[in-house]
Amino acid sequence: MSHGHDDPTLHPEVQMSTSRGYFSGFAISSILMFVATFLVASHAVPPFGLLMVIAVCAGIAIIAQIYFLLHIDVSEHNIWNTVALVLFMPLFLITIGLTWWMFSQLYLRTMIMPGMMH
Amino acid sequence: MLVDLAGGWNPMLGRLAWSQIPYDNPILAPLFVAVVIGAVLVLGLITYYGKWTYLWKEWLTTVDHKKLGVMYILIGLVMLFRGFIDGLMIRTQQAWAVGAHSSGVFGATHGYLTPFHFGQVYSAHGVIMILLAATPLLVGFMNIIVPIQIGARDMAYPYLNALGLWFTAAAGALIMISLFVGDFAHNGWFGYAPIFELQYSPGVGVDYWIWTMELLALGTTLGGINILATIVKMRAPGMTWGRLPIFVWASLASNVIALTSFPALQVALALVAADRYLGAHFFTAGLGGNLMLYTNLFWIWGHPEVYFVILPAFGMMSEIFPTFSEKPLFGYMTMVLASMAIAGVSWLVWLHHFFTMGAGPYVNSAFSVATMLVGIPTGVKVFNWAFTMYRGRLTFNAAMLWAIGALFLLLVGGLTGMMLAVPAINYMVHNSVFVVAHFHSMLLTIVYAIFASVIYWFPKVFGFKLNEFWAKTMFWLFSAGTALVFVPMYMLGFMGMTRRLDYVFNTAWHPYLLVMEFGIVVYTLSVLAFFALLYVSVRDHASNQVGADAWGTSRSLEWLTHSPVPFYNFAVLPHINARDEVAWRRDNGIDHVQPDHYEDIHMPNNTGVAIVLGGLTFVLGFALVWRIWWLCAFSLLAIIALVIYRSFKGDPGYIITAAELEQMEKEAMRREARIGKQQHRVGSGVLGEAIAYARSDLPPLASQPGSTGGLDHRS
Amino acid sequence: MSSHGSNVDPKTAELWDKSHYQHDVISTRTFGYFMYLLSDGMLFATLFAAYGVLSYQHSYSGGPTPADFVKPWYTFAQTMALFVSVLSYGLAMNALKHKNKSGVINGLLAAFVLGVLFLALDIHDMTHLASSGITVATSGGMSAFIILTQVHAAHVFFGLIWILVMMAQVLAKGFTTDVVGRLLTLRMFWHLQAIIWVFVFVFVYLWGYMS
Repeated sequence: MSHGHDDPTLHPEVQMSTSRGYFSGFAISSILMFVATFLVASHAVPPFGLLMVIAVCAGIAIIAQIYFLLHIDVSEHNIWNTVALVLFMPLFLITIGLTWWMFSQLYLRTMIMPGMMH
Repeated sequence: MLVDLAGGWNPMLGRLAWSQIPYDNPILAPLFVAVVIGAVLVLGLITYYGKWTYLWKEWLTTVDHKKLGVMYILIGLVMLFRGFIDGLMIRTQQAWAVGAHSSGVFGATHGYLTPFHFGQVYSAHGVIMILLAATPLLVGFMNIIVPIQIGARDMAYPYLNALGLWFTAAAGALIMISLFVGDFAHNGWFGYAPIFELQYSPGVGVDYWIWTMELLALGTTLGGINILATIVKMRAPGMTWGRLPIFVWASLASNVIALTSFPALQVALALVAADRYLGAHFFTAGLGGNLMLYTNLFWIWGHPEVYFVILPAFGMMSEIFPTFSEKPLFGYMTMVLASMAIAGVSWLVWLHHFFTMGAGPYVNSAFSVATMLVGIPTGVKVFNWAFTMYRGRLTFNAAMLWAIGALFLLLVGGLTGMMLAVPAINYMVHNSVFVVAHFHSMLLTIVYAIFASVIYWFPKVFGFKLNEFWAKTMFWLFSAGTALVFVPMYMLGFMGMTRRLDYVFNTAWHPYLLVMEFGIVVYTLSVLAFFALLYVSVRDHASNQVGADAWGTSRSLEWLTHSPVPFYNFAVLPHINARDEVAWRRDNGIDHVQPDHYEDIHMPNNTGVAIVLGGLTFVLGFALVWRIWWLCAFSLLAIIALVIYRSFKGDPGYIITAAELEQMEKEAMRREARIGKQQHRVGSGVLGEAIAYARSDLPPLASQPGSTGGLDHRS
Repeated sequence: MSSHGSNVDPKTAELWDKSHYQHDVISTRTFGYFMYLLSDGMLFATLFAAYGVLSYQHSYSGGPTPADFVKPWYTFAQTMALFVSVLSYGLAMNALKHKNKSGVINGLLAAFVLGVLFLALDIHDMTHLASSGITVATSGGMSAFIILTQVHAAHVFFGLIWILVMMAQVLAKGFTTDVVGRLLTLRMFWHLQAIIWVFVFVFVYLWGYMS
């Protein structure tokens, strides 16, 4: 990949920023976080369901931020970043998920009271 | 202070005090004197020969990946030696302190090391061998070889490369200084909770351990980013993914592991530091801490780490077998897929280090199956190497012997690993020396591959070959040592001997331990053979010089450029037309075609910032260990300031003009022509000392290196 | 002995590069930096794994739990400060696209001020906790809570220093290749720590409050 740009501001990674994109990312995340905070602070929904709801809020906010802010897509200039992210995401899930599984199983078998989730 | 510190603390010196220097230790005190004398000698010699400017300009401030790689390898070899001494000490203690009637000297009840000191020896042995010997050696090779194998001028981030080296050196300095100022950790190389808590390790040893490993983790992560970016972004034109040399694929897979797993180590150790410095309760026994959490977090890193070290070794073997079988690697695509599969699966198996924690049958079975799955791609590799050699024209020189030895050790280590993957077996041998013998077999696979690579690539980097006789002697002595030490160890593991025993209560094991001690003596002889190898090779270097294609049967791109490699790697970047580009060019008679004109090239400048930053991180690490807070703040601020300063200064680099390039290239080619004539006169050439079987069904032997050196222009 | 994998005719093959191949400096920098950021993400993933294990009831050893002291709307204010800071930085990037130097400086300055606001709110929160006797030494659960949130805050802190440095560099050097490259990598850093914050806010503060 060769770019003979003399003017660095003409580089595709600079040019792909749009104010519309940043505002969209901002708006989506803020609204979702507001909703999550409101639901939690007002104790509107029982705990387990609430956890699901705010997890979904977080998930959507993250996806919006990843797309609008980090410019993760499959265009020629971003493809390697996308590949790297796709490589890492399962590892985040594995680290947290398998740890959680391991320890909940352990607590089940070794705690005097069954390990109650906080 | 947030925590209670044994031994006092004062604002000026932290916990540092004269009493922390072990001047009455019968082993360390003489060692310290020897080290000081040695240091004075070395510094004196450098001054006497007036080499400080040379050292500073050519080595200490370099950003050239080849020189940095050589320095990495130097660090690795020195630390390998130190780790070997630690291993020797362990063996000797265990051969001596057997049974209630064994004698004790130097204040020990049995043997010559007190339990506390013995603990430090095996902890240091582990940390040094894995992180300061194997890793720098492998990183050094990847540093030197990967850019030239993909036809690049340097790594993607030369300055960052230098930083990685000096961070590694700083970590090495930190662990070395722990010998003489304070203690080292006694909690094993990977640490256990709660023994590393302040309550049970009130000294500074664990702190040395933490900060050494944190520095190494940082250096390796930065190196990983560098190699990955280089491979993705800086391949020469025509170097498609399908033409990538297999060692580069191995480096890619291994550095993906490094990048993804080292942060877990950083966190695990940082949380230990939080416990020790801030009084946190992550891993304490009480107040909500969780002891097994440490083990879990550590091995999230620890397992991918071992694959990080073995994949480059596999890559090295994949380069050496084809060259000395005069055949392309069998099953290139499956090798690549196997490397990626190993990297992927390596992330799913870490619980097999603590099957006995008690997570239950579901968890244990899942991780057990995943562990066994790793054997499949490894098996693919083993078969591919075997098929590469099958019906090839084999040359059994020293490099090939080391590589074949690595293959045998892989079989032993891998099969015992599969045994350990079964929880039922694992419950029996967990924490016994069977495990120790298993992972040493694997680590020795790596060491063998490294020695093979040293012999294989030494001519490329330095322009002359190592002495075959001493290299082979070293191989046989080393292998005899390996057998004598580790075969009895497997047996002892089954007999129930646990790890890390400073006193061996069962006298029935004594014969085995004595055999192992004899094995260590044989190892020591092999170390002496290594020194002889270096001496003889350097002494005879003028008669062993080589041209670009040192072995005559090499296949990958690094053999296209001169030996030693010029600092700009390639005067004109090659255009790649095949996998095994050099073999393709040689087979088609176009390996001596030179570029017809040169262009200006842009090179990065040297910089002193990297080594200064390395020094500052050493100071920061030391200050953190001794809790000298003003020095911590000062060095941290200095580091930030220096980084910002470098950011402002930047590096415009410098230009080598086409004329200068042409001049240097002509020099190199004249030299190669001279070597070619010299080889013809001597007559024995490349393959003289190796056993080469002539086969009528294969084409005639490849041409001698440099025999037609000079400019052949195609008409 | 042939090396397969090539269908190029040796007689006409190009052996040496004539295309004046130059590698793209800026995208090499941003790609490497992005990989570093992902490794940083792994750092947080490990911290979250530790937090997950240490957020059971027994991890608090009978002492205070997040439900006792988390104030969701206070932390939401922190969230908004951070998000507006991220937006400002994004607008600075947009100004960069139009070579608008003062636009970039203003955007960076706004991002800086809002980042400082975030940190100030965080520090106030932590000192309030400390004055109530809640520190890392209180329990394993509290250690995990405080360390996880403050590691994020530390990232913000270093990011703020970097923003100051970039303001100085833009003023001093204008839009050189290196400066533009650094602005791009800082953008990625700033966005990533906002992403991490979403996780911290939802799964540490909000979930902690709920339990």
